[in-house]
Amino acid sequence: MHDSSKPTTEHHHSPPQGFLWTHVFSLDHKVIGKQYYFLSLAAVLIGMVLSWLVRFHLAWASAAIPGLQYLSKVGAPGGIITPEYYLSLLTLHGTLMVFFVLTTAPQAGFGNYFLPIQIGAEDMAFPRLNMLSFWVTFVGFVVLISTLFVSDGPPISGWTAYAPLSAIGTDAGPGLGTGQVLWVISIGFFCIGSLLGALNFIATTLDLRAKGMTLARMPYTTWAWFITAVLALLAFAVLLPACVLLALDHLGGTSFFIPGGLVVSDKLQPHSGGSTLLWQHMFWFFGHPEVYIAIIPGLGITSHILTATARKDILGGTRVLVGCMVSIAFLSFMVWGHHMFISGMNPFSSLVFSVPTLIITIPASIVTLNWIGTVFGARLRLHTPGLFAIGFISVFVTGGLSGFFLAQPSLDIYLHATYFVVGHFHMVMGVAAIFGMFAGTYFWFPKMFGRMMSETLGKIHFWVTFIGVYCIFMPMHYLGLAGNVRRYSAFVDDYLAPLIPVHKFITIAAFVTGAAQLLFLFNLFWSMYRGKKAEENPWQATTLEWTVPSPPPFDNFGGRHPVVYRGPYEFAVEETKDDFVMQDSPQQPARS
Amino acid sequence: MSELEVVVTGGQEIWRGGESPYAIPSKKLGMWLFIVSDSITFGAVLFCYAYLRLASPDWPTPFRLASIENATIMTFVLLSSSVTMVAAVEAAKAGRIASSVRWLGATMLGGVIFDVLHIREWLGLIHEGLRLYHNDWGSSLFGAAFFTLTGLHMTHVTIGVIYLFIVATGFRRGKFTSDDVEISGLYWHFVDLVWMFIFPLVYLLSARIR
Amino acid sequence: MNATAERSEGPAGMSWFLKVWVVLLVLTAVEIFLAYEELPVHIMLILLMGLSLIKAAMIVAYFMHLRYERTSLAWTLVPATIFVLVMMCVFFSDSLRIVRLGLFLH
Repeated sequence: MHDSSKPTTEHHHSPPQGFLWTHVFSLDHKVIGKQYYFLSLAAVLIGMVLSWLVRFHLAWASAAIPGLQYLSKVGAPGGIITPEYYLSLLTLHGTLMVFFVLTTAPQAGFGNYFLPIQIGAEDMAFPRLNMLSFWVTFVGFVVLISTLFVSDGPPISGWTAYAPLSAIGTDAGPGLGTGQVLWVISIGFFCIGSLLGALNFIATTLDLRAKGMTLARMPYTTWAWFITAVLALLAFAVLLPACVLLALDHLGGTSFFIPGGLVVSDKLQPHSGGSTLLWQHMFWFFGHPEVYIAIIPGLGITSHILTATARKDILGGTRVLVGCMVSIAFLSFMVWGHHMFISGMNPFSSLVFSVPTLIITIPASIVTLNWIGTVFGARLRLHTPGLFAIGFISVFVTGGLSGFFLAQPSLDIYLHATYFVVGHFHMVMGVAAIFGMFAGTYFWFPKMFGRMMSETLGKIHFWVTFIGVYCIFMPMHYLGLAGNVRRYSAFVDDYLAPLIPVHKFITIAAFVTGAAQLLFLFNLFWSMYRGKKAEENPWQATTLEWTVPSPPPFDNFGGRHPVVYRGPYEFAVEETKDDFVMQDSPQQPARS
Repeated sequence: MSELEVVVTGGQEIWRGGESPYAIPSKKLGMWLFIVSDSITFGAVLFCYAYLRLASPDWPTPFRLASIENATIMTFVLLSSSVTMVAAVEAAKAGRIASSVRWLGATMLGGVIFDVLHIREWLGLIHEGLRLYHNDWGSSLFGAAFFTLTGLHMTHVTIGVIYLFIVATGFRRGKFTSDDVEISGLYWHFVDLVWMFIFPLVYLLSARIR
Repeated sequence: MNATAERSEGPAGMSWFLKVWVVLLVLTAVEIFLAYEELPVHIMLILLMGLSLIKAAMIVAYFMHLRYERTSLAWTLVPATIFVLVMMCVFFSDSLRIVRLGLFLH
């Protein structure tokens, strides 16, 4: 049933020996993928706890959090979070989530594990570089967490680290000396890890495809990882020098981002000549492609799982879906200024940036409409991964719609830096992208660990999370319209006081939703050891990862070299008694 | 039905697998991708320099003729080392290992001379009062931009020399192939290419005319 | 190992590369000459950038052999790089504005 062709020797490597080489410094893309995944898991747990601290404080600003004073005596005296420490916690939350969760798990986690298998390869093109990329990222993570334990705590400048706050140093507030430098070092390491990973993904996708695996026959996830890798290669290349320049402003006394004449804490800053806008331009030039790096794997995973859920290919097929992803990727380099509409930049630029920002909604909408068209009228198999994939559509639409408003400078003047924006980016990044990761986890867990996760726990997790995230983030849009500014630690103004009950509601919803995530965690770890044994293709899907054992052997295909005869999503075919046929099945001449 | 017929659609050959669509080894593609990324990194720093210079009314142009002459010699040395690198690659591809290693040595020597001239220049400028954060001639950003750009470049040259040394010794011992020599050549030419922008934009535009 | 089988033949011999080297040196000399000509700054910038781009293109095409690889490689690498670099030019709308508005950075 599985055909094979002549082997290629260029990328062959033998099984590892010894504990260190097998489990720690493994060159196996599957081990590295799991390492990235669990690193992200650690990051998301810490990030979630930080969000609980933040939400607790917003709802009950004068209440003490018992024990917090041991983490930071200055930041939380008596357990009550100071306004500065609030910003520190927020900064760490954002940095962890955006970099170490959203940029890591969907791409480096799942991508590393499944890209080689989906294209019929033994491993990535550069296994040693792959291992190095993970450990560089890991060092970045450790450095970032260490900011919690330095004297001043994490920086208060947000994950966006705007100058001059991020560049001046401790005169401007706590955490901006050692904390900011450590942040810069951490992100610098992360950039390097991402760049090396990106070039690995690109070379692998282009060079290591099995016989018959044309680009057109690649699954949507492979396309998504490939396009994301191209984005990462181009975008992180700009963040890295920005971090170097920021570090020099701290350590070298330079003034790249600090203008003259600044008086901070009654001290005239010994800097002049720099531009704070320059940091924003450099940061968002990276930052906008970055958010697409966070979501495109999710688009791929959702599309991939929807085919197995709806038992048919996505409406429009590969051409349309991939065409949309490529358009989104291309346009993502032209829209960064929409984060800067009220920054004081050239007002004409605002017009120039808002046009492609609105245009980028078109391919995103096409993808969404095609998903809806696929699901409509289909006999859906509503297992947990399918639920999360369909849930992704809902939350992606919700998050995306608020983007239409923010894309227009006239509206953004009012909405910028309010909870409207917080609601928007959490729905798309903090919910949709996470749903993509959940869907991927439930879908691929059987392949990775040889066991099934509990469907019951999965469904409870889905419904509580789905309802919970709407309870958390929908009200934020109304808060924003009411004028509630973000990154405030307490609401003492008259017009904000009536909104505090809304914040309380959101906080309670956040705790309930958080509890459901603990359920997910339990399901994940319990199923690894006690889950029902999984067969080779439990979801009856069509792509190559479902033609190998669960979990796959060291070289994925056990020495054979798969040959691909078909497109990736051939369902409802007449030639088999099942409603699907595997991508490497040669029963009939290929149709696509 | 033969296996080949089954993978064919409409008379066209489908992807055969086991080779690169660009007919180059994956390592070489990897180096090209790295070069793309590093070009954008250098480009970003150059844009920062340009941005800040355009926005500063007091940008100094302190490089006397001696500095420009020194930078010209450095340019000549780097361009020549690119030629010796090409010679090394040609020799490697023709199987002339010893000759290739000699040309690699000449390239490394060019890199070392470049670094030495550069450090000498830096020391001279520091002696005249140029710092990352201050100078007596105008905007403090001049030193910041200058040392950052040229420092970044010099780091790449130094890493290049070490890289070439590793490739040369490995090639001589038979551990590396001519492909590896060619790939190291790509890196070296890239470093030269960046200097083609730094020399006019940093040195020539800051030359003291009178 | 046999992935390079289809690499097309480049220019024969070192003499060609030496010619490229000479052209690069000549262009460098032109740049140095221009630097001392006291032209208006924007003309100088255009000329120097233009010459640098020509020199870079020659290094990429000949020394780095891109001209003799498969065209698809050049089409993959070059447009993406240029696109990203050109997009960064939008930054200048703010640097020039800072000067025009008299908002000196000191």
